Amino acid sequence: MARELTYVGKPVARDDAVDKVTGAAQYTHDLGLPGMLHAALVLSPHASARIASIDARDAEALPGVRAVVTGKQLPYRLGLYMQDKRILAEDTVRYQGEAVVAVVADTLETARAACRTIDVTYEPLPSVLDPREAMEDSAHRVHPDLHTYDHMEGVFFPKPHTNIAHHQKIRKGSFEEAIAAADVRWTGSFDNPPVQHVPMETHATIAQALPQRRMELWTSSQSPYTVRHLMSVCFGIPHASIRVHVPYVGGGFGGKAGLGLEPLAYVLSDAVGGRPVKVVATREEEFNMLPSRQGLHSTVEIGANRDGKIVALKATYVWDAGAYADYGVNIGRAAAYSGAGPYCIDNCWIDSYVVYTNKVYGTAYRGFGHLEVLWGIERAMDQMARALGMDPVAFRSRNLLKPGDTTITGEPFTPGHGNPQQCLDVVAEAIDWGSPPDSPDDAHRVRGKGLAMLHKAPAMPTFTSCSAVIKLDEDGAADILISGVDYGQGTYTVLRQVAAEELRIPLEKVHITWECDTAFSPYDWQTVASRFAYMGGNAVIEAAQDCLRQIRSVAARALDVSPDAIVCEDGAAFPEGQPERAIPYEQLSLGYTFANGNSIGGPVIGHGRYIATGLTHLDPETGQGLPAQYWTYGAHAVEIEVDTQTGEIEILNLVTAIDAGKVLNPKLCDGQIVGGVIQGLGSALWEGFVFDENGRFLNPAFVDYKIPTAKDIPRRTQRILLENPQPGGPYGARGVAEHPMISIPSAIGNALYDALGIEFTTLPLDYERILRRIRERTDAS
Amino acid sequence: MHDIRVTVNGHQESASVPATQTLLEFLRDRLALTGTKEGCGIGECGACTVLLDGRPVTSCLMLAVEADGRSVETIEGEAVGGELSVLQQAFVDAGAVQCGFCTPGMIMSARGLFQRNADPSDEEIVEAIAGNLCRCTGYEAIVAAIRLARDRLNAATAKGDRDGT
Amino acid sequence: MRGTFEYVKVRTVDEACRHLAEGEATVLAGGTDLLVEIRNGLRSPRLLVDCKSVETLDQLDVRQDEVTVGASVPLNLLIERKDVREAVPALSSAAASIGTYQLRNRATLIGNICNASPAADSAPVLLVLRAEVHICGASGSRTLPLRDFFVGVKKTALRDDELVTAITMHRPARLRTAFRKQQRIRGHDLAVVNVAGAYDPEERQLRLAVGSCAPTPLLLEPIPADRSNPRDAAVQAVEAAMRAVSPISDVRASADHRRAILPVLIRRTVEDLLGGGV
Repeated sequence: MARELTYVGKPVARDDAVDKVTGAAQYTHDLGLPGMLHAALVLSPHASARIASIDARDAEALPGVRAVVTGKQLPYRLGLYMQDKRILAEDTVRYQGEAVVAVVADTLETARAACRTIDVTYEPLPSVLDPREAMEDSAHRVHPDLHTYDHMEGVFFPKPHTNIAHHQKIRKGSFEEAIAAADVRWTGSFDNPPVQHVPMETHATIAQALPQRRMELWTSSQSPYTVRHLMSVCFGIPHASIRVHVPYVGGGFGGKAGLGLEPLAYVLSDAVGGRPVKVVATREEEFNMLPSRQGLHSTVEIGANRDGKIVALKATYVWDAGAYADYGVNIGRAAAYSGAGPYCIDNCWIDSYVVYTNKVYGTAYRGFGHLEVLWGIERAMDQMARALGMDPVAFRSRNLLKPGDTTITGEPFTPGHGNPQQCLDVVAEAIDWGSPPDSPDDAHRVRGKGLAMLHKAPAMPTFTSCSAVIKLDEDGAADILISGVDYGQGTYTVLRQVAAEELRIPLEKVHITWECDTAFSPYDWQTVASRFAYMGGNAVIEAAQDCLRQIRSVAARALDVSPDAIVCEDGAAFPEGQPERAIPYEQLSLGYTFANGNSIGGPVIGHGRYIATGLTHLDPETGQGLPAQYWTYGAHAVEIEVDTQTGEIEILNLVTAIDAGKVLNPKLCDGQIVGGVIQGLGSALWEGFVFDENGRFLNPAFVDYKIPTAKDIPRRTQRILLENPQPGGPYGARGVAEHPMISIPSAIGNALYDALGIEFTTLPLDYERILRRIRERTDAS
Repeated sequence: MHDIRVTVNGHQESASVPATQTLLEFLRDRLALTGTKEGCGIGECGACTVLLDGRPVTSCLMLAVEADGRSVETIEGEAVGGELSVLQQAFVDAGAVQCGFCTPGMIMSARGLFQRNADPSDEEIVEAIAGNLCRCTGYEAIVAAIRLARDRLNAATAKGDRDGT
Repeated sequence: MRGTFEYVKVRTVDEACRHLAEGEATVLAGGTDLLVEIRNGLRSPRLLVDCKSVETLDQLDVRQDEVTVGASVPLNLLIERKDVREAVPALSSAAASIGTYQLRNRATLIGNICNASPAADSAPVLLVLRAEVHICGASGSRTLPLRDFFVGVKKTALRDDELVTAITMHRPARLRTAFRKQQRIRGHDLAVVNVAGAYDPEERQLRLAVGSCAPTPLLLEPIPADRSNPRDAAVQAVEAAMRAVSPISDVRASADHRRAILPVLIRRTVEDLLGGGV
C-alpha cells in the first residue's frame, strides 16, 4: 500500500536548533563537575628525538598543581588496527607536537604556568618527512619495533623493519598485458598536503576514574562505543566498567571518530585519585598535536583505446600517515578499493602504501581518502581525454560504470547502485558544458569550465552495526535511544521523521534523547562513513515496527480480534475498517487496562538493529571482494575566473549532483551539501600544513591556516539531488554526508586547465601556485 | 584583583577579577554563561563574539577589567521572556544551524549588524559575519537566515507604522 | 589568559607616562595584537596601562588639509565616519582590510602603527600622507614623521616611557589616494603585499608606499607623474619599488611571489590615481 509520505522527504526544521540558537546547548567545552581539575600539556619541539630527561620539580612544587604525568608512567598501547601509539611519548617523540608531559592543576592557568617551568631535554634523532623517502631502505625508521606491534591480522599488513604500516593491493585482470596493448597511454603524479578538520569545537574530554577500575567520560566524540571499546582494549577493563557520555558536539568531520584525549584524561584522573580532569585542546594543539588528514602522493597510469575505452589503470598511492597509523591503515585500504574512480576498468593494478613519517599523524577525515585519490584520478581522466582528443564528458561517459559492469573489486554494478551517468549529464547541462564561458570584463582575466565525478561507499568493517531503542511515553509519544552522534549533520531529525512515519504519530510526538550515554543508548559503531542515516534509519524502522507489533498484539486482545487485523494510524490502533473502535497509543503504551481493572501488555519498548550485510574481506593479494554496502555517486561542474596577474581565482558557479536514492530531508541534505562543498573548497584552494625542514609545524593557527569565510563562497552554487532508490536503504536512501567535498579540488583543477592551459597537480591551488605557473609559462614562451 | 561592575544581559554584575582574566573567561567561568564559545583564543574565529555597548567584539581579546562600567550582551540575552528573537527564529527556519558551535557568535554579529543598519544588503551581511568562521554550513544558509530576519523585522516595522504603533 | 601582568586605567597622558617610565609597562589600547602576543608568550609586560579613558586621546578631527586621529580611535570609526571616508578614502579602505569587523571595534589605528608589523595595512597610506606621529613621554612631547617612526621589524622609535597620542596626516583636498592589498584569501588576512599611493596634481607628484616587502613599511621617493602619461609613471613606479624592497620568504608567501605581486599592485594603484591604460 503506497501511502504518500507525511514526514520523510519533508524539509522539517531540526529541533536541536533551539538549544543552539539560545546558547543552551552544552558541549563538552561547557561542562564541569564538582572538584574538577584542569590539564595542560607540554608538546615536543622536535620531529624525532629521544627524551633524555624531564625535570618537573618546579612544576610539582607550584601551588595548585596536583599531578605531573609523563609517558614512562603509562605502559599502555593505543590502537585497534595497529597498536603503535602511546598516551604520552614514552622515550621517543615521533612528531613535533607530540604530547610529552601533562600537568593537572586546580586551574587551567596554573597548569599552563606549570608547563612553562618544565624542562625536557632531547637527543635529536634522524627524521624522515617525505613518505616516498620514508619507503627507501636508507630512511630513518619511525617505528623500529613495528614487527612487534599487535595489529588486525588478515586485514592489515605492516612490513617489518620498514616504515610501511600497510600495503593494500588491487589486482584485477592483467594490467601489464592490457597496458602494452593500449592505443594510448598516459601517466602523471599528484600531491595532497595534510590538512586539518577544523571543527569549531576543539577536542575536549572530561574523565573521572572511579573505584574498582571503572571510569566515566564526557567527551566531544563521534563514536561513544568506539571510545569505550578502545579504552577497554587499552586498559584491559571490561566494557561495562566504562561509561561514555557524548553531549552536543561542535563538529567532527572524522577527527573525532577515534580516540582523542580520552586515554590521557583518564590516566590523569587516575593520577589525582579519581577527581574529574578536563582536557581541552587549544586551537594550536588541535592543529599541531591532534590528528590530521593524511597527505598523499599518487601516480596514475592509464591505457585506453582510440574509441575511448579505458583498458588498463594503475595507481600507486603513498599515504603520509605521520607518526602513528591506527586509523591511517584503514584509509589506505578504503582508498585502494575506490582508487580507480567510478569507472569500469577490467585491468586494474593498485598499490596503496600507508607510510610512517615524523609528522602529526593522520586519521579519518570526511571523504576518507577519496578527495585525495580523486584529485589524481579525476585530473587524470581529463588529461587522458585530451590525449585521445575526446571531450572529457564523452570520455567519462564511455567508461562510467553501468549495469552489467564490475567494479575493481569485482562487485557487479546494478541499477540499485544509482546513476553516475545521470549525475554527469545534469551538471554538464547546468554549467552549459558545450559552450565556452562568457568573456570576462578585464583583459587579464580568463574563465574556464571543469567537471569531475565522485563516488564513495561507507568504509567500514564487514561487521559494522547499529541499534536503536524506541520507548513509548504515557502520552503515546516516542523516545528514540541511539548512539550514533548528531554533530551537526541533522541525522537525529531524520530519524525522528522516520520514526514518526513508521509509528504513524505526529512528528512533535517523537523525541530523541540528545546525549549519548553508553549506559542507556544502544550500540552504534561510529558516526562516520556516511552510514548513520542508512543504518540508523533501518534500525529505527525495525524498532518502530517492533513497537507496532507490541501495540497490535495488545490491541488485538483488547478488541478481541487477531493481531493481523489491527492497523495503526494517527497514533491509534484499530481493526481495519473500524476506526470507531480505535484505541489511542496512550492507552497501550504502558499496557492496557480493561474496564474491570485487568491489565495486559506493559511498557512498549521496541528495538531494532542493522548489521552490514553481505560484505566480505578483500583478498590480500588481489583486493577482490565486496567491501561496499552501497555506493553513492555524484558529479561537480564548475566555472571559474582567474586573474592572470595575481593568480586569484573566483568560483563563478559550482554545480553539484548527487544520487541520494531518497532525500530524507531536503533542507538538511542541502545543508550537508553546501557545507561539504565549501569544506572541499578549503582543501582545493587554501588549506595545507606547512612544515620547515626540521619537521616543525609552521601554521597551527587561523592566522596562517586559512579556511573559507563567508566572503569566500562561490558566486553561485547549485545543488541537484537525484533519487534513484537504493535497495536496502531506509525509504531508498543512501549516505551523502562525505560526498559533497570529494571532487571539488579535481573539478577546479580541470577548470584551471580549461582557463589557463596549465596542468596543476599539487594542492592547494593557492594564488601563489597559480601565479607561479602562469609566469613560468609566460617566461617559457 | 580589580572590582568591576558590568551590566550583562541587563543585569548588573559585581565581581572581583584578576587583571589577566579575559571577558570570555569571566562570562563562561565566572557567570556560567557558556553560550559564548572559545574557538581559537586569538580573535580569528568569532566564536566568542559578544556585544559591548551594542558593538560586536571578540571577547577572548578583551580583559574583564576593560568591561567595567560597560554593558555586555551575550546569546543568553537574545531570547526575551522565553520567546526566540526574530533572528533566532530565522536561524531555525532557514536551516542555518548545524553543529551550532559558531551559532551564538553569528547571532551576536547579526544583532550588532541590525543595531547599526536595519536594512543591510547581502554584501553588508557577509561583511558583518566574515569574522565568524563556520565549518559546517558553508555560510549560505546563515546569510539566508539573516536576510529572512531582516525582511521579517522590516515587515513588522512597516506593519507597525501602518497600524500607527 | 596566560601571563602575569597587572592592569591600571589612567585618566591623563601624564599618568600614563609615569607608569610607562617605571619600566616593563606597555599601553593597552585595543589589545588585539598585545593580548595575542602575551598569550603566545612573545611578550610578558609587568603592567598594562589602559589609556582608553584619557579624554584627549579619542579625537578624530577632519580639517580642511589634515586629519588627526587620536590613540584610542578604533578602526571601525575610520570607516563609519563619512567625513573621514571622503577626506582620506584610502585610509578607510586600509582600515577596512584589517582583521574582522569585531576586531576593528577594538583595534586602533595607532595600535596598528605601534605594533609596527612590516605588513601593517595602515602604514603605507599614512606614509604617503606624510603623517606625523605625536608622542608624549616622561620628559616631554615630540613629533616625528612616520617614516622615521618605524625602525625595524616590529620596532619603533618610541622610548620605554613614551606613548603615541595621535597621528596627523596631511591631505590637501586636491590629493587623490588609493590603497591595494594582496591577500591569500578574501576573508580576513594579513597582507602578502600592500601598496598605498597619493597623487598631487598640483605638484604632479606620485607618492607610493609599500608594505610587507621590507623590515618596515617603505615610503618610496616621489615620482614625477602626469595624468596624460600614466604608463610612464607606472613604469617608473615599478622600477623604484623593485629597487627599494627586500622581500623575504615566510609562511605567507615566498619572496618571489612578493616580487611578482608588487608590480601588479603598483600598476593598479597608479591606475587608480591617474586613470586607465597602465
